[in-house]
Amino acid sequence: MLPKIVLRNQSKTQLVIAFLGAFLGVLFLLISVHYLLKVNQFGEGSEMLGPNTLIIQKKVSATTTLQLSSTTFSAHEIKLIEKKSFIQEVQPVQSNNFGVEFATSDPMLPYFRSDVFIQSVDARFLDVKSKLWKWHDGDEFVPIILPRDFLVMLNTFMSSSGIPQVSDELAKDVNFSLLLSNDFSKKQFRAKIIGFTNEVSSILVPDSYMNYGKETFGKRADEQITQLMLSSKEKEFGLFEKFLEEQHYESKNSQLVTGRLKSVVSMLLLVIVFISFLTLIFSSFVLIQYIQLLISRNVYEIRTLLRLGYTPRKLYRVFVRYFVLLYLVICFGATAIFLIFKSQIDAILHSSGIYIELNISVFTWITLVISFVLFYLTSLLSAKKSVLKEF
Amino acid sequence: MKIEFKQVLPVPLSSMEHPTDSVWNTNVILEQGKKVVIEARSGRGKSTFIHLLFGIRKDYTGNIFIQDKNLSEFTQKEWVTYRQNQVSIVFQDLQLFPFISVFENLKVKNDLTKHFSDDQLISMLSRVGLVDKLNQPCGQLSMGQQQRVAIIRALCQPFSWILMDEPFSHLDELNAEICMNLINEACEKHQAGWIMTSLGMDLKYDYDKLIHI
Repeated sequence: MLPKIVLRNQSKTQLVIAFLGAFLGVLFLLISVHYLLKVNQFGEGSEMLGPNTLIIQKKVSATTTLQLSSTTFSAHEIKLIEKKSFIQEVQPVQSNNFGVEFATSDPMLPYFRSDVFIQSVDARFLDVKSKLWKWHDGDEFVPIILPRDFLVMLNTFMSSSGIPQVSDELAKDVNFSLLLSNDFSKKQFRAKIIGFTNEVSSILVPDSYMNYGKETFGKRADEQITQLMLSSKEKEFGLFEKFLEEQHYESKNSQLVTGRLKSVVSMLLLVIVFISFLTLIFSSFVLIQYIQLLISRNVYEIRTLLRLGYTPRKLYRVFVRYFVLLYLVICFGATAIFLIFKSQIDAILHSSGIYIELNISVFTWITLVISFVLFYLTSLLSAKKSVLKEF
Repeated sequence: MKIEFKQVLPVPLSSMEHPTDSVWNTNVILEQGKKVVIEARSGRGKSTFIHLLFGIRKDYTGNIFIQDKNLSEFTQKEWVTYRQNQVSIVFQDLQLFPFISVFENLKVKNDLTKHFSDDQLISMLSRVGLVDKLNQPCGQLSMGQQQRVAIIRALCQPFSWILMDEPFSHLDELNAEICMNLINEACEKHQAGWIMTSLGMDLKYDYDKLIHI
């Protein structure tokens, strides 16, 4: 009975406009938040180094070859890099100054050995802060991150030996060994692959293992820093890249391209999220205004009901229930359209060879729930205030 | 439930002269169960008296006590209880919902208080000669018919006082008599009293106190 009395005198045109506005706002928000998250997740998991992590070195030119300029980083240069606003972390990359031999050590695989270079990386540069990324003397295994090219090379060897190739996952289950040596001694360690990288050409080991190797087998000589591991701040990849260019530093191109693309697309999507958010705020504002308009158009009915003994709460809840139901319809409708839109976009990306995760992030749903809760609270406050005014 | 007016003067009437036996600017006590007629010519504040007592207007000086509790100190919850269970009202302008039926107009109030069954409502409508208008929108009824609906609606709750602002102004003598009987029966049942404003034509009904304004 109450809705029949207090929800009269509607302005259909205004209601439809407010409804469509909120519908488009929710739809844009869902789409933009979803793809923003997907773009940021793109490529995650396949790379152990963080998404904004690069190993840089100075470009080798005729002058460096003729030793007119140096390819090493001085302490002053490292300090200057550290001070840049867009730099999050800097660490000199340590390389082995002792002999390292990498070999298979598993009955599942034929024997294979190779002299390799190893470099150390601190856990803070890893994308996955793996608990495995530590080593103490006496540990059963040395955790290593293998260059993906190395696995390709290993598979080529397997293939030529008529043995099935090894997948990423299988490679992580297989035992390998590292043999550290110098002219006088050597020691073998069991090694386990915990991940892969496309960015470095040498095998990566924890700092502690590198230090152990240097202390035990290393040559006593001043160490030259020729590579630095850097991580840039999110969304400032452009500045980072410009800086590398100005300083004549170089890095692997693939990371730069991915980083640049992700940075640009993320920025664009952030702008779209912002615009969607504004659209949603304004359209919700129109809906809230409509609640007030509806209450003012039915002020006689509200006053009379209050005089008959109805509580203000009972009356404003009629409005809140009506508009919350309306917003629920908007959310469900927008979600349905979003799912259709998403399947189309995903199909287009898939056919273009861009494989993004198909699942919808929980954060997308959280955004929807937050928008719903905010709308509920705003409509509650607005309806309550307007009804109480008539008491 | 005792009503006490202590030096009450509505702000819009403050510039007017009021006689010593007026309800304004004096002390007046109305005991529960009494039948009170407020009689005056137009513009002397009869409706204002009803509205002050019902909490619709608050622009007055002085104090109004309901069972020794000052009306100005009523909380929102107390007003709701007051209007649901203690004081009922028949407005001069009736305040019905013209777009819903006669029966729905009664149900709006009765759903809140669960005071009567549907059969009892129909029986009352039958007594005032409106049972055939049950499903007709109130807006299509004559003023006299609407006045009878408003009176029955006012009875759809428990009360200690029923306030009536010129309740029979559009009724013929017979219908007014029927309505007065209904009101008196309800008052007897609840041991309640009534306060009725009048231009002077309703003095034929039994009353305990006459107040001139």
